[in-house]
Amino acid sequence: MLARLEIRLKKELFDAEGAGIRKKAREYFGFEVEDIRVIRVLTMEVTLDPSRLEQVRTELFTNPVTEESSYSPMARDFDWLTWIGFRPGVRDTAGSTAVEAIEDLLGIRFGPEEAIYTSKLYEIRGNLDARQVETIAGELLANEIIQQWKVYGRDSWDPENGIGFPVPKVILDHSPRVTPIAIGSDQELRRISRERSLALHDSDVPVIREYFLREDVLEERKAVGLSLPTDVELEYISQARSDHCNHNTFRGLFRYRDVATGYEETIDSLFRTCIEQPTLQVKEKKDWVVSVLWDNAGVGRFDDDHYYVITGETHNSPSNMEAYGGAITGIVGIYRDPMGTGKGSKLILGMYGYCVGPRDYGGELRPLLHPRRLLDGVVEGVRDGGNKSGIPTPYGLLLFDESYIGKCLVYVTALGIMPARIGEESSHEKTTSPGDLIIMCGGRVGKDGIHGVTAASESFSEHTPAGHVQIGDPYTQKKMHDFLLEARDEGLIAFITDNGGGGLSSSIGESARFSNGCRVDLDRVPLKYEGLDQWEIWVSESQERMTVAVRPENLDRFMALSEKHAVESTVIGEYNDSGFLRLDYQGKTCAFVRMDLLKSDFPQWEFDAEWTPPELRGLREPVLQEPRDHGALLRGLLGRPNICARNWIARQYDHEVQGGSVVKPLVGKGRDVPSDAAVVRPILESRRGLAVSQALNPWYSRIDTYDMTAATIDEALRKVLAVGGDPAHVAGVDNFCWPTIQYHPEQNPDGKYKAAQLVRSNWALRDICLAFEIPLLSGKDSMYIDGNLAGPYGERRKVSGLPALLFTACSLVDDITLCVTMDAKTPGDLVYVLGDTRNELGGGEYYQMMGAVGLHAPKVTEESFRVRYEALHGVLREGLAASCHAVARGGLAVHLALVAMAGETGMEVDLEAVPGGTSLTTAQTLYSESCGRFILTVPRDNRRAFEEAFAGQPGAFVGEVTAGGRFRITRGDRETVVSEDVMELKSCWKRPFEDLI
Amino acid sequence: MTHVKALVLTGYGLNCDYETDYSLKLAGAQSHRVHINELIGASRTGSGPALGDFHILVFGGGFSWADDHGAGVVMAAKIRRHLGEEIQRFIEEGRLIIGICNGFQCLVNLGLLPGFDQEYDKRRVALTYNDKGNFIDTWVNLRVEPDSPCVFTRGIETIELPVRHGEGKFYALAPDIARLTENRQIVMRYADREGNPARGRWPLNPNGSLEDIAGICDSTGRVFGLMPHPEAFNHWTNHPDWTRLKAVRNPAGKGFDPHQKGDGIRIFENAVRYVTATFS
Repeated sequence: MLARLEIRLKKELFDAEGAGIRKKAREYFGFEVEDIRVIRVLTMEVTLDPSRLEQVRTELFTNPVTEESSYSPMARDFDWLTWIGFRPGVRDTAGSTAVEAIEDLLGIRFGPEEAIYTSKLYEIRGNLDARQVETIAGELLANEIIQQWKVYGRDSWDPENGIGFPVPKVILDHSPRVTPIAIGSDQELRRISRERSLALHDSDVPVIREYFLREDVLEERKAVGLSLPTDVELEYISQARSDHCNHNTFRGLFRYRDVATGYEETIDSLFRTCIEQPTLQVKEKKDWVVSVLWDNAGVGRFDDDHYYVITGETHNSPSNMEAYGGAITGIVGIYRDPMGTGKGSKLILGMYGYCVGPRDYGGELRPLLHPRRLLDGVVEGVRDGGNKSGIPTPYGLLLFDESYIGKCLVYVTALGIMPARIGEESSHEKTTSPGDLIIMCGGRVGKDGIHGVTAASESFSEHTPAGHVQIGDPYTQKKMHDFLLEARDEGLIAFITDNGGGGLSSSIGESARFSNGCRVDLDRVPLKYEGLDQWEIWVSESQERMTVAVRPENLDRFMALSEKHAVESTVIGEYNDSGFLRLDYQGKTCAFVRMDLLKSDFPQWEFDAEWTPPELRGLREPVLQEPRDHGALLRGLLGRPNICARNWIARQYDHEVQGGSVVKPLVGKGRDVPSDAAVVRPILESRRGLAVSQALNPWYSRIDTYDMTAATIDEALRKVLAVGGDPAHVAGVDNFCWPTIQYHPEQNPDGKYKAAQLVRSNWALRDICLAFEIPLLSGKDSMYIDGNLAGPYGERRKVSGLPALLFTACSLVDDITLCVTMDAKTPGDLVYVLGDTRNELGGGEYYQMMGAVGLHAPKVTEESFRVRYEALHGVLREGLAASCHAVARGGLAVHLALVAMAGETGMEVDLEAVPGGTSLTTAQTLYSESCGRFILTVPRDNRRAFEEAFAGQPGAFVGEVTAGGRFRITRGDRETVVSEDVMELKSCWKRPFEDLI
Repeated sequence: MTHVKALVLTGYGLNCDYETDYSLKLAGAQSHRVHINELIGASRTGSGPALGDFHILVFGGGFSWADDHGAGVVMAAKIRRHLGEEIQRFIEEGRLIIGICNGFQCLVNLGLLPGFDQEYDKRRVALTYNDKGNFIDTWVNLRVEPDSPCVFTRGIETIELPVRHGEGKFYALAPDIARLTENRQIVMRYADREGNPARGRWPLNPNGSLEDIAGICDSTGRVFGLMPHPEAFNHWTNHPDWTRLKAVRNPAGKGFDPHQKGDGIRIFENAVRYVTATFS
């Protein structure tokens, strides 16, 4: 039986959602819509008698104070109606919670064929034509990848039947089938790989064939009824060998050559030489490094009783296609990594980093989603994912660059915390043992995300299958999170890992390496709907699932807790030490692969890396004469998209939940200027805190990715130190996003250069992390940030994103009450600049404003910086400074102004006093982006102690915080360079995005 | 002396349970985090944590059932069906209930608030979508009604707390608002930094609440619901201006009690004090 319940706000109530859409219609398309009102629709496919339908309507789904509802169409006053619902198979969380609510209210159970589907109907009033309404439907409200829509005019509307009874049910009508794959020749297997989107790397094909043709292998397979490799097996191997899971690029062989000097070097694995070795080397000196380089996330010691867990990744490809769905899946997905680290940790913090095209992009290329819409969707996805998970999101970055219209970057970072010991065992250790049961917890398996991993490993084109876009479900995951923590504390979890890329194939495949074998009954895996092939069950990336190893004697208790938390858990197999990964379906074996196959000698990927230094690429310093009006220039700089206030994002992210907020994302008198770092107190009883910051500087990549990387790490480090982080305890996370580096004469003619950029970036990562003693607790790489975009003439143009490293720094704060924020506090305080300002404007904001790139990118001189950072830490611990701020993009002019704007105080600064400034022009001093610098304000009484702490270092008293609100920069006594009203500067800085809420 | 026992509900997407539990402990209560199903199970089987063992029941913040069908709606339906009578008894016995954010939304959907004439099953008021249509995290200034019967706010005139919600706009029909006003049941209103009414001005009033209403109580003053989060101001370093206050008040940064509790704890202390006085 079908019923359709429609619910709307009473007429006299303001419809905020409708108003928001109206505003976007104006901003996106310039359409003036008179009014939009929303009707929520529940299509119920369940047998209920009229009195129960009425009970459901009144007791559950209608608020008598604000809403009215009916089982008949409710639309009444409109020029157009637009209906939007999900496509079959798309996660409809509201539909499932409606089922839960009805089941509980009526004390019934829905049958397998019964369900609830939610959709929305928009009443639109205004003078619009059909095409405009279609535009609103297709380019603002719905995304055809996950949604379907219909537009009704007044004439085409049937007031009796309304929208009918939309039921986007998945009906596969397919009998699951295992297909043997012919491997007669390498060519044949390669062809099948292409046809089935297996994305097997060409060079892996002979190794795979060789294995399946071996006599002993044929013999042992025969015993379980197998001969040719099955599709399940090849999917398993393909997932395990994908770049996403195996990091073939970073483990590849690079032949580096500098075309200017002829210098050559062969690098066997960037991962090993630039990430693993330096981290292990630093670990020797840092006893707080608990666990690195093997688990889902790295582990550091928080205090004697607690460990923290940190990791980060990207979710670029799905977000690029379905911004909201991709981003929420990304943030909810990264939260599963700390949950699956050690025996499981409680999530305490999330962060974000977005790189997108300009919000007002008006160029002739047609990205799949306009950057404006894409950004809005991404922002909302992470908002819902974080807020509904009950995890604070107190830090993040947003930057705009046209190179990211090909593919946007969506970084997500997560931190967790766990007790150091669970019973007698250390919490960071885990293993699977023969006899342990394999349990899948959380969501069910559908066709979602099949081939997501392989799609992320390829450039985006019109042929990319859209099926891997999902909508994360923080509700289901939050229940699972609470359940697993309780199970962990009772000592029930032997091993835990998440189901992300590659699904069960990865999670079981990898966890079975510990016990050396497993057997899984694929038919026991709970499905969302029938008709999935065996290989699909095995590699599906349906979200919100964890794989847990539980000893048989703990099973009953584990399942009881699972039921208490309303989480579905199912035993689907067991670990063993057979040496084989074996998958059965209804008693018949469909995969039987030696555990050590994946350890065998798959050929290493190889790359030619050819470095052309910036001079040979024609980069020069621009010819610029000294600007006459630095005041106007500063106002202009402050209003540029990558400098100005982007506060609307932080405000809609809950950054206080869990009650441990110490330094918030926005600080200062008006609580509206971004903090250098966020600080939280994860253990409420303790005064110890964690400080986190991130940096992202892809523009320096235009000159040299070595400098880009060094400057980025240095910036993240300085930001975390500026709030009071401890330089002796800084953990790093490296997240690379890079365009394709495999050379191809037509498709990727500059591949060798991009490969050399990657090598140089890794060298900097190694050098700087060693110098600052930063172990890389975690890291991921996301290659292929290219897109082939439609142009106006039917052509497609390749757009590659600027190579980017997001670097996360996480530091310990011994006593949070000693933290400082970046805002100037009190008139009369002295202003200091620490660190030399040098002629380093290349790749910077000022040059970009002048239409130039330049040549001199900022350099990191590690040893001198390190001494300074340690001295700074001492000063902050002593409480000598009232504020501290790391100088970053835009240089001293922008960052001195930010300190004053945050404090809403005046400031007087003499450029002659700036360390290094005497040999530079005024513009160079003001806008250089030299690394290693801080701005501090210091109470007069602390002057002597403060200066003693920095004796012998480039650091100087440059001016003071003033009352009256004038921001004044002079050059000696003679010359006033800038004299602006601080609040006027602030409004220039806030204006560009102030309409965004 | 009575041990004041508090129960903080958990599960189904609720999420402020740890810090609420911590805040109650700071205030002197013995606090326990209890899953909704555990409480329902105990009510059914008679074994496990029973509501009657506690003095203070907390409906905390979060996104129960993902808030998909109106914030707090599904949770209210579940609680009404399984624990409705017990909660009624709990109130009759003079015990305390506080609903924070999602918990407040749940209390109004249960009809425990406004509880005119101690009728605890009528939905008369609503917390609906913020006028700006979006989730907002911001600190607000609150003015407390001095003559309110609310036991949680005694001795508090103004307080600063964070709000974090997308559905916090208080709405009711004019006669009900008048009745709330008359009964002094409007416990907290959004205000400016000087304590003057926000008069609907955003972001002082962050959601467009009628009459700047941020929290109300029932006619007994023992059932209290509010959108702001007192548990998130459990330590003085939670306050957005603490680094400024510290620098301005004491440039040397010394002389601050590092253990100083946040003002939000006062609300829980009032509850503990009330229980101690009433149940001893």
